Amino acid sequence: MDYGKRALAEALAADYVLGTMRAGARRRFEALLPSHVELRRATAAWQERMMPLTASIDPVQPPGDVWRRISDRLDRRKSVVAGAWQRLSFWRSVSAFAGVAAIALAVLLASPRPAAPPVVVVLAPTEAAASGSAAAPIVASISGDGATLVTRPIVPVALRPDRSLELWAVPRDGTAPRSLGVLPSGSGATVAIRGKVLAGVDTLAVTVEPLGGSPSGAPTGPIVYAGKFSL
Amino acid sequence: MVKAPTDWSARSHDLARLLARAGLGDRAAFATLYEQTSSHLFAVVLRINRDRAQAEDILQEVYVNVWRAASSFDAAQSQPLTWLTSIARNRAIDSLRRMHSQPQVRSVVAAGGDARDSEDEDVYDTVADDAPGPLELLSRATGARSLETCMEQLSASQRQSLALAFFQGLSHAEVAAQMREPLGTIKSWLRRSLVALKSCLEAAAQRDAKRAG
Repeated sequence: MDYGKRALAEALAADYVLGTMRAGARRRFEALLPSHVELRRATAAWQERMMPLTASIDPVQPPGDVWRRISDRLDRRKSVVAGAWQRLSFWRSVSAFAGVAAIALAVLLASPRPAAPPVVVVLAPTEAAASGSAAAPIVASISGDGATLVTRPIVPVALRPDRSLELWAVPRDGTAPRSLGVLPSGSGATVAIRGKVLAGVDTLAVTVEPLGGSPSGAPTGPIVYAGKFSL
Repeated sequence: MVKAPTDWSARSHDLARLLARAGLGDRAAFATLYEQTSSHLFAVVLRINRDRAQAEDILQEVYVNVWRAASSFDAAQSQPLTWLTSIARNRAIDSLRRMHSQPQVRSVVAAGGDARDSEDEDVYDTVADDAPGPLELLSRATGARSLETCMEQLSASQRQSLALAFFQGLSHAEVAAQMREPLGTIKSWLRRSLVALKSCLEAAAQRDAKRAG
């Protein structure tokens, strides 16, 4: 069955959002979602159409115990994540979102030439960036030999004078991100890649840090750009 | 708290900010998000799964998920309240489907029935009851005039089947049993309702855009 077909995607998404599918059909539909953009689009559109209907339901205050239980679970979760920087899962999800374009570009560039071509990574602005400055991505290009990395913001990034943007290489395995250095504001930067700093890395991200970069060597500020890639 | 679909977009700006901050690990923002949305989500879940203890467990799961997924929320793609409500509804419907491998449907109480006499017998079961049943909820969905208008254009049976499915999370078979109609009839009512609703809402959006531009 071709789930990319618009009409079918529409009908399935409508049933899913309305909620009439049986358990098996719901599971199958959910399994299809990640790989079918048309299904995702149709589902989001149906949710946007239907969910406002729930506004007519009178709110019911949940007992305070529910929040305590949620809070406890988040505390437990926090304590098992080691290290100063505990939100690695954030990078995973942000980059999964931002990374599709980057992979496509990399594949495009990689296919015609046998000699290692540069890999282009699009670092898309995150929610945190959108609230501050213009929401245009930063493009990073890693040379074919993996020795240099050039970043170029599509529009100059506005930043408070006491803040710096710092570029991080985020390893696939969830270990601590490695700093690739502070990006000069405005024009872009060339970063010399030292040793194997990109080994096992699949995400580049940019955070807002105190002027001159993170004092601790680990990211401290909000992530404003992120992009996934593969070498 | 959430009364009219028009509030839906109005509240989104604040909620989007809270979600973004929660996504960056801000627990205080997450607590505020919970304060502002939990009574709505709890009500949505309770409509679908009326077992209070289970509904509380579901709500807990929902917010733990929200915390984990907050960073992937994209305000450009979806309104925060839509996103949150969808997560809650999905969890609640999943819990129902797990409970009923076979559809078990309580019978419809006729108009003027005494369903409200018993605390255990949930009034939401009874489409004809005058406590806000699914159908009344549908008509109460005021504010967004286009949604209301489009709902009015459906036939009474179409509206009723849509309300049962949407608010109570009933499957096709369960809606059919409640309304005492053949499964095929229900499927085609729902299908036609959805198609009509969509084209009506799209036409309304186009008219609004024209008026604005």
